[in-house]
Amino acid sequence: MNLAIETGGLGRDYGDVRAVDALDLEVPRGALVGLLGPNGAGKTTAMLLLATLLSPSRGGARVFGHDIIRERAQVRRRLGLLFQETSVDGLLTPEENLLFAARLAGLGGRLARAAVAGTIERVGLGSRARRPARELSGGWRRLLDIARATLHQPDLLILDEPTVGLDPEHRDTVWALLDAQRRAHGSTVLFSTHYLAEAEPADRVVLLAHGRVVADAAPGALRAELGGEIAEIEGPGAERLARALRGLGSARVVLRTGRGFRVGITAERQAVVELAGQAPGIERFGLRPTSLEDVYFARTQDAAEVEAR
Amino acid sequence: MSAWSAVHGIVARDLLRSTRQTSRLLGGVARPFMWLVLVGAGFGAITRLESGLSYPAFVFPGIVTMAALFGGTLTAISTVYDREFGMLRLMLASPAGIAAVLAGRAIAATLVGMLQGGIVLAFGPVLLDLEPWRWPAAAAALAAVTAMSAMLGLLIAARLRSVENFAGIINVVLFPLLFLSGALYPTAGLPPLLLALARANPVTYAVDLLRHALGQPAERVASVDLAVVIGTAVVAFAITAVLFDPEQRFVGRARREATPAAAPHR
Repeated sequence: MNLAIETGGLGRDYGDVRAVDALDLEVPRGALVGLLGPNGAGKTTAMLLLATLLSPSRGGARVFGHDIIRERAQVRRRLGLLFQETSVDGLLTPEENLLFAARLAGLGGRLARAAVAGTIERVGLGSRARRPARELSGGWRRLLDIARATLHQPDLLILDEPTVGLDPEHRDTVWALLDAQRRAHGSTVLFSTHYLAEAEPADRVVLLAHGRVVADAAPGALRAELGGEIAEIEGPGAERLARALRGLGSARVVLRTGRGFRVGITAERQAVVELAGQAPGIERFGLRPTSLEDVYFARTQDAAEVEAR
Repeated sequence: MSAWSAVHGIVARDLLRSTRQTSRLLGGVARPFMWLVLVGAGFGAITRLESGLSYPAFVFPGIVTMAALFGGTLTAISTVYDREFGMLRLMLASPAGIAAVLAGRAIAATLVGMLQGGIVLAFGPVLLDLEPWRWPAAAAALAAVTAMSAMLGLLIAARLRSVENFAGIINVVLFPLLFLSGALYPTAGLPPLLLALARANPVTYAVDLLRHALGQPAERVASVDLAVVIGTAVVAFAITAVLFDPEQRFVGRARREATPAAAPHR
């Protein structure tokens, strides 16, 4: 059994709202998997289902072979969870917060204290560890959250927007900690994020839209589907140029964004640049490598069209 | 082991929090003393009891009950605050399960209530001249009363989504329970409707139990008082376990997130 997560038709409704339709997912042990999608796509619900904190309306899932309904305790023992909002008790010190978490995870006595001491050192809480947690900055609170989620060396980390609201420095520290955790313990990591660049190093990206999986592959493979480069076109003549590129067979995909168009280019870039140079009404034209953000737009727009039909 | 560790963690955290919320702790202790001194002295001047007790001595078991009731109940209801600040999610995600979470909260609330009630009880020798063995008996009665209060608090919190302030709970739930308990006056002389309510009120039996322990004339036999107090605690805990829906703590957030774009059923 080499799967950390295995779901079959996993779905959840809230009244007449279908939050997650039917999630079919296989995540190998040790993988780093990004769960992406717009607000309302079902990311949080999917994570709460896998964390055994919500019951599915249909389908099922296994985490390290344990059923998420019948074997909740076994699943939870293997999990480290990070919610979107921080879970820090400001009246306690970080050390006391961690001790509380260690006991909740089932660690007792010396084992709990040793885990807390090791975690404080690993995360670099240092002198902050014994001051009231309410004095911590938002970034340090999040790091304390990460410390809490990883303190009992879980086999699977489920992280709901781990870096939301953090400055670049703290974001970098969070990912460094998670990388270290993966190297040291081989933990599987399932994370959601709206910072799409954070998903670039993932082994796999699962893109949700309207409660359904609309893409599930390695970031490189998803980018390649759109073409090697993206032309960003803005201005009143943007639509005409995008259509012309498509007409020439130079465009693999044309995406409408709030500011203009993004066109996945397959032709020689020189020919595309020349065509753009002659086109009227173009205020901005640029070519750049394809990113996950382009994949995000392409796939979620496709899903929106499918939904509308 | 896992369940015990979780219970230990929850109790230790709640006790730490209580010691750091000094204004709340002092308020919990000051309230009964204010009643004892101000109401006790005022009513003492105009009241003559058949038992021959002074009014402050008569009201003392009720004031100890008040400290335990308010301390235990309000600490248990703070579960709702934990929900607002995300700490309840951590507890519910523990492998120990919901029973351990509720047990931890109940034990913690009982200990905090006992601390507040115990401080009031410790001033008993100033008012009452009793055989020494009655003080440990009163402490034991206090433990049972506080446990009942904690379970009632958990029951109140079971379906509460948020608490705007504790004043509402105090005014709508706790004061009526206290006033109709015989804590401040004997229930025997109440009109029939209020007497019936007093008899249905578990706090009545809690006050009576403390009167037994403190050697005062009581309205019922001690075994009945003890059975009602413990029975109420057990039943309240059982109902809480049934009513407490752990998913409620997650559905709201996930539903809000799912609603903007999620598809309706077709």
